[in-house]
Parts: sequence; C-alpha cells; structure tokens
Amino acid sequence: MEKKDFKKINDYLWEIPQSFRKDMRAPARIYASEKLFREVEDEALIQLVNTTTMPGIVKYAIAMPDIHSGYGPPIGGVGAMKYPEGVISPGFVGYDENCGVRLLLSEYTEEEIKPYLDKLAAEVQKSVPSGLGRGRQTKLSITQIDKILEGGVPRLVEQGYGEKEDIENCEEKGKMPQADASCVSERAKMRGRDQVGTLGSGNHFCSLERVDEIFDEKIAKVFGLYKNQVVVMIHTGSRGFGHQNCTDYLRVVMQALPQYNIKLPDKELACVPFNSPEGQRFFKAMSAACNFAWSNRHMIMHYVRKAWKDVLGEKANLRLLYDVAHNIAKVEEHELDGKKMKLIVHRKGATRAFPPGHPEIPEKYRETGQPAILPGSMGTPSYVLAGIEESKEAWNTVAHGAGRAMSRHAAMRAVRGEEVVRRLKEKGILIKCRSMRGIAEEAPLAYKDVNEVVEVVHNAGLSKKVAKLIPLAVIKGE
Amino acid sequence: MKNYEILEHISDLKIRAFGRTKEEVFSNMLLGMCGNQKTKVLPGKVKREIKISSPELSSLLVDFLSEILYLTQVNKEVYSEVNFKKFTDTELKAELVGQKVERFGEDIKGVTYHSLDIHQKKDGTWQAIVLFDI
Repeated sequence: MEKKDFKKINDYLWEIPQSFRKDMRAPARIYASEKLFREVEDEALIQLVNTTTMPGIVKYAIAMPDIHSGYGPPIGGVGAMKYPEGVISPGFVGYDENCGVRLLLSEYTEEEIKPYLDKLAAEVQKSVPSGLGRGRQTKLSITQIDKILEGGVPRLVEQGYGEKEDIENCEEKGKMPQADASCVSERAKMRGRDQVGTLGSGNHFCSLERVDEIFDEKIAKVFGLYKNQVVVMIHTGSRGFGHQNCTDYLRVVMQALPQYNIKLPDKELACVPFNSPEGQRFFKAMSAACNFAWSNRHMIMHYVRKAWKDVLGEKANLRLLYDVAHNIAKVEEHELDGKKMKLIVHRKGATRAFPPGHPEIPEKYRETGQPAILPGSMGTPSYVLAGIEESKEAWNTVAHGAGRAMSRHAAMRAVRGEEVVRRLKEKGILIKCRSMRGIAEEAPLAYKDVNEVVEVVHNAGLSKKVAKLIPLAVIKGE
Repeated sequence: MKNYEILEHISDLKIRAFGRTKEEVFSNMLLGMCGNQKTKVLPGKVKREIKISSPELSSLLVDFLSEILYLTQVNKEVYSEVNFKKFTDTELKAELVGQKVERFGEDIKGVTYHSLDIHQKKDGTWQAIVLFDI
C-alpha cells in the first residue's frame, strides 16, 4: 500500500476506498494536513486499513491527525460498530484502558505563582509517586478495589475525597454504570492494589502550565480560563490494573474467534460480537477498568490539591475543568443516515468531544460544547478545545495529543536527557524526573508538531480552539 | 550468538530474540523483557514456579511472558534465569530465578500478539519477535 492509494477529499481529509482490498468492510479516512499526511508511517496506514475488516464497522475506520502505528488498530484510531451485534475489541481500546487527561484551574496568575513554582513542583512530585518503586504506601484490599471498580469517582467523593462538582466535570461522571467487578480477574485486582493515585511511566505526567493565548473569549469565560492563569494537567490511566485486564480479555476473545467465524489480518484486532457472552463480560470488565482510571486521576488530583494548599495556604483551590478518556469503548447515540441510533464507539488514542446541546455534558457547558484537552509532548504547548456539531462525521471525536514521530531509541540517539533539561530550562520550563533516559525518550523532537495537529482539528471541524497552554513545570512519572 | 536485539518501533518495544533451541529463545526473550524494565535490584535470590498451557507455540510464548510480567509487577521481582522442567509446543513448567526490585525505570504494559513470530531458521537455530506495549 502506498500513500497515493488515498484520495484527497479536502485539505484536511484523505480516504482509501473499500475496493482497495477485498477484506475491507468500509473505507478508511485520515484527518491530516498535507504535511502530517506525508509524515504518517506506512505501518500505521496498513493498521488503519486492517481496522476496516472488523465486523459491524459503520461508515469508515477513522484516524486522527496524531495517528501513529501501535498494535491492531493504530493509535489515533476511531471505529463505530453496529449495536448490538457489531464487535467490541480489547485491542481497539489498548492495554491502558481509559488512559486520559484532566485539567485543573487555579486562581493564580503566572506572576503570582513564580516564587513558589519550584516548591510546588517538588511537593507534587513527592505526593504523587510514579508507582514504579514501592507504589503507594497503602495497599487496598480486594474488597476496597471492588468498590472503586463499581463506584468510581462518585464513591470517592462520598468518602470525602474531592467535591461534588468533580463528578459532573468528568466524562461519564467518573463512573461507567456497566462496570462489574466480578468480570475482572483477581490478577488485575492484585496489580491495582497499590496503584490508585500513581502516575506510571512513559508519556504520563503531571504539569503546571500557564494560559498563553485565548482563541475564543466567550467559551474561555464559561470554562473559567483567562490569560496567564496557572493550570494543572494530569495525564495517566488505569496502570497495571488495566494492562492485566486487557491481557486477560485478549486471550478470552482470541480463543472465541472461531466460534463467531471472525477472520482478521492481525491478532491484535481480535474482537467478538458486543452482545455475545464474551463481549458483554469484556465490556463490563473494561468499564470497571475505566472507573479504576478515573479514580486514579481523581486521587492524584486530591494529592495535588493537598500539595497546592500546603504551599499556597488553605484557601488556594484547584477546580476541575474536565476529565477526558482517550482509550475507551462506549455505547453512544449518533446520527446515521438521518436517524439517531446507538453505536459501539472505540477510541484508541482519540478523545470524545460532544457538541453544544449534547445531553451528556454538564449543564454549564451545554452552550459551549464539551471541553476537550489535547496535551502536547513534554515542554511543548497543550490546547483546550470545545466540541462542535461538525465533528459528528468523526463520531464527535478529536485527537489526543501530538503523536509520536520518532521511536524512543531514535530519540535517545538524537538527544541526551541532560540536554533536553537544559533546553527546556532556557525556555523557563522546569522538569522533575528521576530518569534522564526517560526525559530523552519523551523529548519534544520525538513528537509531531502539536500546533500543526491542532490546526488540523480546528480547520477540519473536529473541535474548536479555545486556549493554548505553555508548560511551566513538568513532573514525569519515570 | 547474541541473546536478543531491540528493533525500531515508533512507540513500543520490539524485541528479536535468538536461541539454539525453542527453550533458549524463550529464555532470551525473557532476558530482553526484563532487561528493558530498567530495574534497580536488591540483593538476595528469589524463586518462583510457573506452569502454562496454550493452544500453540507463539501463544505459549506470549502467555509465558505475560505470566512473568504479572509476577514481576505483583511481587516486585525481576527474573534472569529460567529452568524448564517441561517444554512442549503447548505446555511448559519452569522455575524462575531472580531478585527483588527496589524500582522499575520503565513500565511494560503488556505483551502483544502484533507481528508476533517464532520460527526455526535454515541453520536450525530459533528466532522470535515480540512487541511489548510500553
């Protein structure tokens, strides 16, 4: 397959027809500018075409502009399946089930925070462990884990962690009601016992950022964003719990394939009908993992808020703007051929962004559209976006980040961790991380240009730009 | 013969392992997986027993690595030696020898089936490729 097999639909959209390969059940589409499209690796394109072979796929397999190759469907892949007989696939969610991002808003400007920045970053690093050492000091019992799996964020709020408002400012209100702890293995629960409130490694981080530019004053006002304001971003997922859950169900689903006569070009696409016993069990277990991930980000927020108060005083507060998932499968209502209908929507490295008026977003964002958060790489800008009506063509989905452009090894060959720290310091960005190697692997040069990705999502009608954020301090897991 | 090598992959960890026998290629893939968790180990030895069965050889390799990844994370241990007591294409029993870990430098999320390969080469030696999600 070559890039020329894709035809340009408009300046930001490319399509490969269903006729390209016999086993395709739908065309495939990529949202990208000419420049980003040229940069996509061939393997990612093959993975996207492979995704169209999944039974029940509706309209097309879609890729966001931050697409890169993964396993099974590419990262940045989106696919909606017919409900209830279309398939659900663990590999189309990914090992880090409900990896996602949340953004907290402070009441301080950069100038006011500057004298405390180092102390704040150090305090956040101390109170939010990566979990790659001893984990959190407290090990939850299996019964406590079960309560998190089924109760999610609302239960934590009930127990006194966080505020009532935090619940509605979270996708799915921090709890997928379909979660069933009895569908999850003991092994996954064992791996999660000391990981609630831990960051993990790789591209996961917690950062302090400043609002650099406002693009839409009206929406920014509703969101509570203003120029030079300091905000905090948290990016992590379901940790070992979700990783084990995905591993467990890939095995289950793969063994069930012959039973449903499903043939696929890549084992990691393994999927079963949503309404099959295996499909239902996976959906309930994945929902539990999603609740685990929201609880993880919620508890990290709790520790960050505590650190904030410890440094700045009891009155200092951090309000949750919104929390979005970017590795997830959900049943959503969308319009298909003029009719509203339920679909099983998979997003793997892609973010939901519902438009204004959507019943599933909080009342206060009904007129603006759902806030979506698009983190850049370490040291580069991040963006706050708002969902818009036009994105229905992509099942109301937007990109999830910059997207890797270079392997971790290539990044390490290209730059040393110390050099990255020095360059970022010159730009006034503080980095806290134990591992210099980890810093080199996540260096900005290893990623696509986030500004270009955001221009595509804005111009292609996937979301609207609201604000640009510039990092002040980045606390990396490992 | 080298034990294993890291292949280029944009976001994940792709390892090619070598061995004179199937058992050796399994052991060397384990070394590759454990070596890339960048661990800081504590003194003293630990031993674990494992028993795996799978429908065929390549799934056996994934299940073997997934089992060890689970033990690594739950017990905070890393294993450098594996002594097979039984080994067929669909079943294995083994003893793992390793050390307790103080810190991991990298979190391996899962052992994937993507571009999974294990085969015997013309010269009679074995080779396997596994992609790990990190």
